Amino acid sequence: MGVKVFRSPARHGYAVEGSPFIPTRLACAASQYYGIAGSGTLLVLEETESGIALVKSCEWSDGLFDVAWSETNENVLAAGGGDGSLQLWDSSSNHSAPLRVAREHTQEVYSVHWSQTRGENLLVSGSWDQTAKVWDPTLSKSLTTLKGHEGVIYSTVWSPHIPGCFASASGDGTLRVWDIKSAACRLAIPAHKSEILSCDWCKYDEHMVVTGAVDCSVCVWDLRNPRQPVCQPLVGHSYAIRRVKFSPFSRTVLASCSYDFSVRFWDYSSSQPLLETVEHHSEFVCGIDFSLHTPNQVLDCSWDETVKIYTPACLTAGTHTAGP
Amino acid sequence: MHRVKVISGHLSSYPPQGGNRKCNINHCRARAAVSGPEDVVVVHGRRTAIGKAKRGLFKDTTPDELLSAVMKAVMTDMGLSPDRLGDVCVGNVLQPGAGAVMARIAHFLSEFPETVPVYTVNRQCSSGLQALFNIAGAIKSGSIDLGLACGVESMSLQEMGNPGDLSPRLVDFEKARACVVPMGITSENVAERFGISREKQDAFAVSSHQKADRAQRSGRFEAEIVPVVTKVTDAEGTECTVTVLKDEGVRPSTTLEGLGKLRAAFRPDGSTTAGNSSQVSDGAAALLLGRRSAVEALGLPVLGVLRASAVVGVPPDMMGIGPAYAIPAALEQAGLSVADIDVFEINEAFASQAVYCVEKLCLPLDRVNPNGGAIALGHPLGCTGARMTVTLLHELQRRGRRGYGVVSVCSLSDPRVCPLGVRCGLCLLSV
Repeated sequence: MGVKVFRSPARHGYAVEGSPFIPTRLACAASQYYGIAGSGTLLVLEETESGIALVKSCEWSDGLFDVAWSETNENVLAAGGGDGSLQLWDSSSNHSAPLRVAREHTQEVYSVHWSQTRGENLLVSGSWDQTAKVWDPTLSKSLTTLKGHEGVIYSTVWSPHIPGCFASASGDGTLRVWDIKSAACRLAIPAHKSEILSCDWCKYDEHMVVTGAVDCSVCVWDLRNPRQPVCQPLVGHSYAIRRVKFSPFSRTVLASCSYDFSVRFWDYSSSQPLLETVEHHSEFVCGIDFSLHTPNQVLDCSWDETVKIYTPACLTAGTHTAGP
Repeated sequence: MHRVKVISGHLSSYPPQGGNRKCNINHCRARAAVSGPEDVVVVHGRRTAIGKAKRGLFKDTTPDELLSAVMKAVMTDMGLSPDRLGDVCVGNVLQPGAGAVMARIAHFLSEFPETVPVYTVNRQCSSGLQALFNIAGAIKSGSIDLGLACGVESMSLQEMGNPGDLSPRLVDFEKARACVVPMGITSENVAERFGISREKQDAFAVSSHQKADRAQRSGRFEAEIVPVVTKVTDAEGTECTVTVLKDEGVRPSTTLEGLGKLRAAFRPDGSTTAGNSSQVSDGAAALLLGRRSAVEALGLPVLGVLRASAVVGVPPDMMGIGPAYAIPAALEQAGLSVADIDVFEINEAFASQAVYCVEKLCLPLDRVNPNGGAIALGHPLGCTGARMTVTLLHELQRRGRRGYGVVSVCSLSDPRVCPLGVRCGLCLLSV
């Protein structure tokens, strides 16, 4: 099984997410001019026998930095823009305009996530304006605004286990855990001495969170014991970590992608945690996701104008023993 | 740029395991590719054919007629009424008072309204380019929205050689003395000082003719040349009406061998000959410029955008080397390098100085004067700078994709450089 590639000329990928409903569907938030200036495009893609096809491309007037599929409607997606807006898009319609646009954040929206917890149907956004906002699925008005970070927010991710709870990673070097009912920060961990660009929750253990930072390390945290990470920081990347993701199929396996053009797979419970390094991009790798439907399949996107679907060797190796 | 700062902040840390960092953040000095409403743009440009002075079809044509032909053509092509023009600047060298009255006559021959002003400028051979800079400057400073930059010369009807009333004290100042050095001697000085052999000069001259010939035969000049109907008196004194469509100076039969037989024209043991020097010619050219916002409001196209300009002074007795200094200065201003430029139009006053500039700047020969230069086409003094710009813009447009170009003219102690570029029909003109 080879690598499937989608090329988006003049559009540089910032985030990729697989559809929770349709196994072959994925979306990529991409930007013109590496996201520094110009416009953005939301690419809705379909994996085919031989490659990846374009289903729909939605144009936005500023760069797009993150995308989140709806957890209740298979055609709906949300995207975060460089102009501080959040847009809701319908991938099945012919219209070029979004369903809705929310303009509350005053700076770049770098993170958007749709909650997966049963009974809940909310979005969370994280912005360079140092606030996180919680939204109902129609994006009409934010329900709560959470302040506390002293730096730009890069990542906001709902806990898959605890309702009304999300984690955030910030340029202020802290990993914070928030409770939306009390609209308060429950926990602030000075996880790195540098900016933290990404965080994610373990799908199997509600206390475990991973962070990826500018200091080139990936750290795993037990929220019950936040003074130090659960193990030695995972090192190997030579430049800042752009995104981290826990595997949906394994308790201790996670992926990281970096400015060093590579994607790495780790098993933090192993004495040799680095499982595999995948170097198939020629630019910063900004987006990564595990497929929920096809075990061991990974999606990633890079500033090199490509989105790739592949199955890393280390994940098909059965028992996730440490690789070379 | 906030986002750039944020991203570069991410790249500043060293990994915990150490190791060498290959990452460097280089700031690109090029101005953003995105265009702005305040840009000075060239809308359109045309020129007459270039005639051989004293012997060609324009030998009896007064310069106001040549000028009027191109002024009218540019406005008619664009369907623009001349009352929209804020100013008209005409480059000219040999007419009395740089052709101030001549230009006003041309104005009215073109049926332009009296409310549109006109003036002339003389920066010797780069006058046509200076006219471009003057109009661009007026646009930039906001005093006009649209203007016409032109150049015209009749070297049939006026002679070079009268420098005017000069102080006898000029002999006491070395540099002042150098100003009255004949052009041909400046060419010899350059050839000698920089070791540019007769063979190299002749080869360059042959190449100029070949390129011009190819351009002519493939119809490349058709879009830019305005046919001019005029009268010419033959040797017997009979006057006939002719339509001038073709540049007369191109000699496709020029060979290295043939040029090698010519005697040096300025110094007995010299290397500059009539064959490797520019020709004495008649011609005119005109360009319509405007502020982008005004141009777009009128629904006019954009042929090019001015990006940067430079003027550099060099020793008067070696004036031909000017472009070698001015081109880098303008490129620096635009944040570009030689490698970014697709076409260089460098005036071939003499093969010696043109070759010097090409070699000094390591310009790829296939990008220099791709359609020939003044050695083949001719050098009507006040017209040339504008003519080269017209030719450059049409060439970049013909190529159909984004690109940059440079126009450079040397003149007595005052070279002019003008980098240009094209983007899908947009021209970037650095002046």
